[in-house]
Amino acid sequence: MNIIEIEGLTFSYPAADKPVLQNISLQVEQGDFLAVVGNNGCGKSTFCKTLNGLIPHFISGDFQGSVQVGGLNTLKSDVGTLACKAGYVYQDFENQIVRPTVLDDASYACLNYAMPDYRERGREALALCGLEGHEEDYVWQLSGGQTHLLALAGAVSLQPDVLILDEPIAQLDPGHADRIYQVLRELNEKHGKTILVIEHHTEYIADYCKHVLLMKDGGIAWKLPTAEALRRVEELEACSIFPPQVTQAANQMRREGRLPQPCLLPTTVEEGKAVFAGFRYLPPARRSEPARRSEPGQGSEPGQRPELGRLAEAASPEAVVRFQDVSVAYRSVKGEDRVVFDRLNLDIHRGEKIAVIGSNGAGKSTLMKLMVGLLKPASGEIFLDGESIRKKKAEDLSLRISLVYQNPEEMFIKDSIQGDISYAMQMRKIPDFAERTSQLLERFQLTALQERDGRLLSGGQMRRASLAIGVALNPGILLLDEPTASLDIATRREIQKTLADLKDVTDTVLIATHDMQLVCDWAERILVLSGGKVLADGSRDEIFGDRRLLETVGIRPPEIFSMGQALDPQALCYTVNEFLENFQEA
Amino acid sequence: MEPAKKQTATQSQKLMVFVLTMALYGLATLFTELIPKFQVGIVEFSVEYFLFIPLTLSMLFDPLSAALGAATGELVFSEIMLGQFGGLGELEKFITVTIGVYMAGRMVKNPQNTKMVGVAAITGTGLQLLMGTVVDILKVQLAVEDFEAVAGLPESVFATEGFAFLNDLLFSGILFCLLPTLFLVPKLYGKIEPLLGMRPRDKKTGLGSINGKVILGSLVAFAVAIGAEMLAENGTALIEWEAEWAESGTALAIGMVAAAVVAIIALIAMKSSAGKGNAERS
Amino acid sequence: METARHKKLSENILDKLSLDFLRNQVLKNAYGNDDTVIARLDPRILLAWYLVLGIVPWFVQDLWFLMGCFLLVLVTTKLARVAGLVLLLFGVGVFSQTGYLFVVSLFFGGDSSTIAPLLVLTLKVATCSLASITVFSGLDPDRLSNGLMWYGCPERLSFSISYAYRILPMLMEEFQNILLSFRMRGNPPLHETFRGKIRYLFYQVKMIMQAFYPLMLNTAKRSRTTVEALEIKGYRYAAVNKTVKKIKLATLRVTYNDLLFLAVSFLWISLSILASTLF
Repeated sequence: MNIIEIEGLTFSYPAADKPVLQNISLQVEQGDFLAVVGNNGCGKSTFCKTLNGLIPHFISGDFQGSVQVGGLNTLKSDVGTLACKAGYVYQDFENQIVRPTVLDDASYACLNYAMPDYRERGREALALCGLEGHEEDYVWQLSGGQTHLLALAGAVSLQPDVLILDEPIAQLDPGHADRIYQVLRELNEKHGKTILVIEHHTEYIADYCKHVLLMKDGGIAWKLPTAEALRRVEELEACSIFPPQVTQAANQMRREGRLPQPCLLPTTVEEGKAVFAGFRYLPPARRSEPARRSEPGQGSEPGQRPELGRLAEAASPEAVVRFQDVSVAYRSVKGEDRVVFDRLNLDIHRGEKIAVIGSNGAGKSTLMKLMVGLLKPASGEIFLDGESIRKKKAEDLSLRISLVYQNPEEMFIKDSIQGDISYAMQMRKIPDFAERTSQLLERFQLTALQERDGRLLSGGQMRRASLAIGVALNPGILLLDEPTASLDIATRREIQKTLADLKDVTDTVLIATHDMQLVCDWAERILVLSGGKVLADGSRDEIFGDRRLLETVGIRPPEIFSMGQALDPQALCYTVNEFLENFQEA
Repeated sequence: MEPAKKQTATQSQKLMVFVLTMALYGLATLFTELIPKFQVGIVEFSVEYFLFIPLTLSMLFDPLSAALGAATGELVFSEIMLGQFGGLGELEKFITVTIGVYMAGRMVKNPQNTKMVGVAAITGTGLQLLMGTVVDILKVQLAVEDFEAVAGLPESVFATEGFAFLNDLLFSGILFCLLPTLFLVPKLYGKIEPLLGMRPRDKKTGLGSINGKVILGSLVAFAVAIGAEMLAENGTALIEWEAEWAESGTALAIGMVAAAVVAIIALIAMKSSAGKGNAERS
Repeated sequence: METARHKKLSENILDKLSLDFLRNQVLKNAYGNDDTVIARLDPRILLAWYLVLGIVPWFVQDLWFLMGCFLLVLVTTKLARVAGLVLLLFGVGVFSQTGYLFVVSLFFGGDSSTIAPLLVLTLKVATCSLASITVFSGLDPDRLSNGLMWYGCPERLSFSISYAYRILPMLMEEFQNILLSFRMRGNPPLHETFRGKIRYLFYQVKMIMQAFYPLMLNTAKRSRTTVEALEIKGYRYAAVNKTVKKIKLATLRVTYNDLLFLAVSFLWISLSILASTLF
């Protein structure tokens, strides 16, 4: 039975010169788990909003064709009736939550539609979404992942047949992302819900989805079973969607003739085990650790002496930032203060490129705010170039150390990015600020956009602008909080390239991130934060080679790394290319 | 079908403007409540520092939604949340803010016309301040018994209120309402509307100019505001409580005390038996 | 931890009045006291109680009675465990409302005859403020809005109250981050001298004003999703539906505790009336 039937759907927003959706016809079977993919601006979100009647009932525009969901024609039913057929979870899901407490929000829709058993329905939905025990919590006490689950519970409470999620895991750490998808799988398999997700992470699509729908320029290119869809590597890459790394590697090998031509490309690590069974880990000459990334002309490569990064390491003249017995606690609304750091000790040396990882709430952002003086430690001292910063003001530190927020919108305080980039220099009366601003605009490819307001740019442009703002004062230390969060994979790659370019502009860089690909490709030293302390500190081989550590902290290494490990526990391959080089036919 | 659809769209847009103004102005008034008030000599600079927020929004969007959103935001964030709720008297603030903001919003036909924006901003602010001053004078006059008899009070009230009005309008009105509005409206025009899925205000989408109906409506609302304020502040003329006590004397009071004691004992007894009943059942 | 607290106390008072502190105090006031005696009472009863104690004192000039009411609301405020900041605001508010009048009337040639009416006025203002603090700070926002709805307040208002409590933490955080952006990239004037301090004050006021430009745009982005979500969740449908209101209000229940609270308040007020007739 088809739960969704679309016939000749064309839609355009008012005052737009060409339609966003063009002649879409589609059937979705009941019980499907469908991933909707496509490049930015191909109409994915608009398409999903036609399914629950927001288009055309709430968002007006020119609507042609017909959409049937669960047997109801969306044109002939109102939004309320349709909400009981199709639930929707937004990408910016925290704005979807309108009530102060958890149970209240989960049952709010049921209450509004006058269902007498609204509380039970809310409770049930919370249980389905794995939030039991949190009923009485306030929403701001929840973590990011839990907040997403709550938004989902709000939609589930109306017991719709279809659930639509717009990029559910874009802002979450891997642990929470897995949790979301497990909940979705259970809703799909045990409760027969049809699920549509807009998703960039093809690893998750491969693991969880049944079908993939590729959208292109407002139309549908095709809808195929997941495995088949993900094997169309070239077609996906043309739409800037990156298939799972395992698939990419196999595709490359097939092209090079290292795999038999008529070969089914693997899409998961499990499938990969069979396909790559004949390969052995044969690193050419057992490449040594420093050889992999040492740049010529740089004598003191931190990778060569990982012991320098150790906690117990004695005073070093090179330490640009030093944390000494730093403790921080946040005032909590009720009961005990929440301790973030308890006697944290840490040295950061000149020239290091450090990635800070750990789950949401492990204190990554706090660490950065402490360094720029926005937060003062309750006890302990932080030294910048050997001076304590306790008495320093944030504005005085900003010439030496600079922080780029996770949410770039909060960095845009002027009405053009050109104004934003020059602001700090202007305020400090730097003589050639105009010239420097145009240099920065050029460097970050923003010259054509310089008059635009930062908020109205695309995700990738926003990030580049925020990076330009961050380096405007030419600080010796740059701190980046989640520079690739909520970006699609293609844009992530682009930002990653920008970050690599930045390496020789800024001396010392520290990035807090969940993006393990970024960590592997970029970082020279990795700090793992957990439970208010530095749980591990070392090179990528030391961190990712430690399976026990990965499990305790819930780190999900890049898929290709896991693939290598599955074939040979000795293998440490961080990119597809490394995998291709290091695994040879036996 | 078609007109109904259109109506829904505008309804939702109104709700968006309401929610937006409420959140922003509410947050701002929360700060005003917390920022120490400037006190120069005897004059208090009690200014609506942030009135520029609803003024700006009412010039760009639906004025009535913005005006109501602003008044509600202030009521909810700074009065109810901080427990500073002053009873019926808050109605006065609610209505004067609504009228001031709404009028300013209605006056602007083209937000790109800086002169118009400036005139509207200062008019809206002035209107709100003036209404507040009138109410304040009447308030003190009625709240203090024998207003005229208290030596020096009437003059002082007129002097301070009058001075405060002029001062607020010329100093804070220009600094905190006029200039920020002039700064923000052109900057936001054309940028903020698409974020809410609306078209910028122009001749077609703007409302007509202020007519008699609007003025009459505002006057009625202001009368209600004064009425509410007076009712909240003073009722000796309405009910002669004191006289009543003087006559009935101690006996009535003792009766009331006795009744209260009996009620408390009875309630405690009933509560404990109900508690026992529950305990037995479970 | 003790030394840490010491350090905190010795910090500049302006530093203490940080946004973080404000946010915490407001949240504490809204959510931190949901387990007090006052918070458990039925909102309708409390609102009725407030109507009496918030209005009646205005009608009465009797000092004994006003004292009695004042003491009563003082106790209930204590019971409601109101955040310190709110109490501070109350103190400043009462003083500035009647204190300045007092000074002014002295200046214009008033004497001790001015004090008596002003004391009465002060008691009135204080009683009404404390009564409102008890009810509005002591009650859970949701119970409060349900109570208001029972009395026929518009749906829009009760929605606004609970939505305000939901959105406030987010808004404050966003505002704080924007201000921090200004702070990190800005270059405030030195404020060691008196003139510097004035300039610094102006600089800060200007910064707060300018911060609303980004905040407006960011909030606009958010409110679109919020209003769409409200539409899906049937908010507009519920606003005009009587059954929904009935279901919502069915959660309210008057218990013996509520009646006891009323009876004890009544007893205290009766006692103060008795006192006023005796003396």
